[in-house]
Amino acid sequence: MAGTTFKTNRKRRRISLGMAGIYVVLSAWALTTIYPLFWILMNSFKNKKIIRSDSFSLPIGDLFTLDNYRTAFNRVNILGAYRNSIIISLSVAAAVILFSGLAAYALMRYDFKLKGLLNSLVLAGMMFPAFATIIPVIRMMNVIGLANTNQVAKSLMAVILPQIAGNLSFAIVVLRGYIAGLPIELEEAAYVEGSNAFQLFFKVVMPLCKPSFATVGIFSFLWSYNDLFTQSFFLKTKPEYSVTVLLSLLTSQEGTNYGLMASSVSLIVFPLLIVYLFLQKYIVKGLTAGAVKG
Amino acid sequence: MKKMLATLLSGAMVLSLAACGNNGSGGAASTPGSSSAGSSSPSTESVEDVKTPTGPVTLNVTTTFAGEDTNAANYQDAIAAWQKETGNKLNDASGSSTETFKARIISDFEMGSEPDVLFYFNGVDSNPFVEAGKVVSIDEIRQTYPDYASNMKDGMLGASPLDGKNYSIPMNGYWEGMFVNKAVCEAANVEIPGPDTTWDEFLETCQKIKDAGYTPIAASFAEIPHYWFEFCIYNYLTPATHNIVPASVADKHGTAWVDGIEDMKLLYEYGFLPENTLSATDGETFQLFIDGKAAFLIDGSWKVGGIEGATDDIDNFTVTYVPGKNDRLTTDIIGGLSSGWYITRKAWDDPEKRQACVDFISYMTSDEMVTQFASVSATALKNGSQVDESQLSSLAVAGLELVKGATGMSAAVQDQVTQEARVPVFNGMPDIVTGKKDITIAVEELLDLVAAGK
Amino acid sequence: MSSNIYKNKKPVIFFLAPAFIFLAVFLYYPFLQNILNSFKEINNLGASAKGWNAPWYTNYIQLCKDPNIWTALLNTLIMIAATIIGQVGIAIVLALMVDNIKKGQKFFRTVYFFPIVIAATALGLLFNIVFLYDKGMLNQLRELLGATKLLDFKDSSHAMLTMIVPVTWQYVGFYFIILITGLNNISEELYEAATIDGASRWQRVRYISLPLLHNVICTCGVLAVTGALKVFDLPWIMFPKGMPSNSTWLTGTYMYYHAFESHNVDYSSAISVLIVVLGVVTAKTVNAVFKEKDY
Repeated sequence: MAGTTFKTNRKRRRISLGMAGIYVVLSAWALTTIYPLFWILMNSFKNKKIIRSDSFSLPIGDLFTLDNYRTAFNRVNILGAYRNSIIISLSVAAAVILFSGLAAYALMRYDFKLKGLLNSLVLAGMMFPAFATIIPVIRMMNVIGLANTNQVAKSLMAVILPQIAGNLSFAIVVLRGYIAGLPIELEEAAYVEGSNAFQLFFKVVMPLCKPSFATVGIFSFLWSYNDLFTQSFFLKTKPEYSVTVLLSLLTSQEGTNYGLMASSVSLIVFPLLIVYLFLQKYIVKGLTAGAVKG
Repeated sequence: MKKMLATLLSGAMVLSLAACGNNGSGGAASTPGSSSAGSSSPSTESVEDVKTPTGPVTLNVTTTFAGEDTNAANYQDAIAAWQKETGNKLNDASGSSTETFKARIISDFEMGSEPDVLFYFNGVDSNPFVEAGKVVSIDEIRQTYPDYASNMKDGMLGASPLDGKNYSIPMNGYWEGMFVNKAVCEAANVEIPGPDTTWDEFLETCQKIKDAGYTPIAASFAEIPHYWFEFCIYNYLTPATHNIVPASVADKHGTAWVDGIEDMKLLYEYGFLPENTLSATDGETFQLFIDGKAAFLIDGSWKVGGIEGATDDIDNFTVTYVPGKNDRLTTDIIGGLSSGWYITRKAWDDPEKRQACVDFISYMTSDEMVTQFASVSATALKNGSQVDESQLSSLAVAGLELVKGATGMSAAVQDQVTQEARVPVFNGMPDIVTGKKDITIAVEELLDLVAAGK
Repeated sequence: MSSNIYKNKKPVIFFLAPAFIFLAVFLYYPFLQNILNSFKEINNLGASAKGWNAPWYTNYIQLCKDPNIWTALLNTLIMIAATIIGQVGIAIVLALMVDNIKKGQKFFRTVYFFPIVIAATALGLLFNIVFLYDKGMLNQLRELLGATKLLDFKDSSHAMLTMIVPVTWQYVGFYFIILITGLNNISEELYEAATIDGASRWQRVRYISLPLLHNVICTCGVLAVTGALKVFDLPWIMFPKGMPSNSTWLTGTYMYYHAFESHNVDYSSAISVLIVVLGVVTAKTVNAVFKEKDY
């Protein structure tokens, strides 16, 4: 998005055959990604009995029902759950952006003894499955008094901390790749003007890499939001529930209530998409400003 | 004391109110009210070290009544009423009984952050905390509260597989039976199997259904061979002998297991299973049954709700006995009570909480409450459950009839085998039925894992 | 790195400390526990060990002997190839295309993202219905086209393909976003200068976009191999328990199976150690092959 405003400045060419081909390919792929979401939304308005046997027809007339949503809304305080989810995911995204940015910058720009080892550790960190590390984390949370307190703030914190760690490795790997592509001359220029290392990071690198940080932030947000596993260990009572936990409790144990599942997924995904589309404007603005500075 | 009596009285009132909602069981309402809740007060007086709670108590409760569990709403109503009546507070941390949930329970016990009251499985899943002495046995509770669980048959409480002692009070049990899609049987022009149908007759029926172009049996032997395993080996044993894990593959039980699995292999070879039984998921084969492409499905009482939720024509479905052979009568069923209410050692040793825990569980396991929760499934109640059949679907009524007409019942023997030990036979089933793996060797491997304490 | 502004190494510790403290406490320490667990006897996730295995390295002997592990490794190798060629390849093409269009950039960026936000359970259901043996979407299509026999997309000869296609499709958007972000980082002046010099669109892609994207593509390669080694949710929902006949195991699903289905937690821990070792080795290999470059 950062480039859009500039790209219009490029020499305009007549829309060629090649361009049309590009649009055909892009649209074809777009169809495959839009359809599943549409399919889920469509089935969330259908009677659960017919979803498996008749999942591709539109929910019109007799097929249409709001029952799946009624069940979801009746039993639970869904707004409170959204609030909890947002608190968790925003905190995780913010912390990941900052910490991974600092670390990736240092791992890219500095040479030091343990660098090779640390790089390997970061790679390894991406591979640790959550279920291999969760039990010691639960124990720690108990020891420091964040788990099993029946207090919402502490329980949320108990989710946030391990989730930050869980997303850091990925973020560092991705940001390293982006920072590697930055021309070092810009930093040198700022250095000559008297900036220290931290000023270089915050005043030069971060603004230049804004789109990259935004990407990392969005992924961290999403994974934190969708991470049912960690959440279900710490968010146990109703006031603590996040959207994902709450809706996972609604969908069947046996996994046969496909109607509820479709409405749950819709309730998880669509508010997020709407917020994303709304905020996108601001993200674009921020990023373009950064690009101008660069 | 006064306050407690008031509490108990009001508790009893809730019970009778709840009972009034259930037609026909109103008469029985007074009995449990006096036997379970009322009984605890005299015993409290006799034991001095138990303090009467001085104020409202907060209990941490964890159950599996959550999500789509048919009793999730019943449970929420029950605890809301109890909190209102007693002034006590419940922190409810229930969850669907997924593997993640089980891991959470176990790790909570490990770290000493277990709940006060727990409704959980009484089979091998309870071994970790029973072994660690983290829950209180019914016998010990009765030393202080002699009438605890007195409305239940002790033999049916669901003893721990570890030491044979009772630790929990069950509410709703399960049974396993053969669900039938009537339309398929009609189309294939065969009788629906009944209490007298033998295994051989059943095989003939399956052949006719197959000849008519339908799949006789809906089952994914790749994912869930469990139910057929249970009944096929049951056919070489009896209700009295079924629930015993073989000591060796050569003994009577071992041979029964090998022979039973041999029968499963035959079912596969006869082509009575879906063509893709070794590559389909259980959800897919279940759908064959619902869509009228397959005739029979062995599953548990919990599937009644599953079928009700999956079809518009519930009257097209019924449930019947799994045809038997040898000494097992067709009417001998698999069933039991697989979960119950536990009081944890931590809460029991807390003078503030002990009384409230006992009160709460007595309230939850009264005759009315158990009847309401159990619906069509078996209970351990001495008086039996009084279910209002007019509220039930024809399939649920058929389920009740199934239990009533049963000549014998045994718990599922696979519940005594840990998940890890099941692997050679259950996950190995595709190789077994296709002849790639020898049955005796697979059973031997399973028994070796059991012997190794896995 | 050649620049002398980074000769003074004192700030390094402050840059690294926050991230690595988090990683050490919540990942490395727990994973050390996990390594220890792989030598012990544990029957339930969350339960404490019953003692050490005898001999303590039993699980690793088992790893070498277990035919399912070999199946899983082979399948995962196929999956890695599919992710690198399929996911990253398609993502590069899509990203370059989107970068070169004027209208609708925002739209494509948003919709390509969709598969990532949908829970695997829902996607699993969708694909199970698409590939369903009887009355599935594809078999219905085949019938329309004149096929008379149903095709079992989940039998042993088709299973791997049936699994790879959805998994590949699901993550193309992920790499697409990472790549398009990298493209956006490329300064516009470079393109403008090239255009003034008379470079065609293809030449701009070939001589500016691709070389400058090199490091990001390298990152994607690393993410692709590590991702393929640990992916389990969608494959598990479509092919639980390595169905059919233990032929579709991946390292990720096999580890999940032992942690949650067979309750052989210690063995699952050993598999996770194997996955991490393989992950680091393959990621390093990818790095060595692509070689990160500085500009």
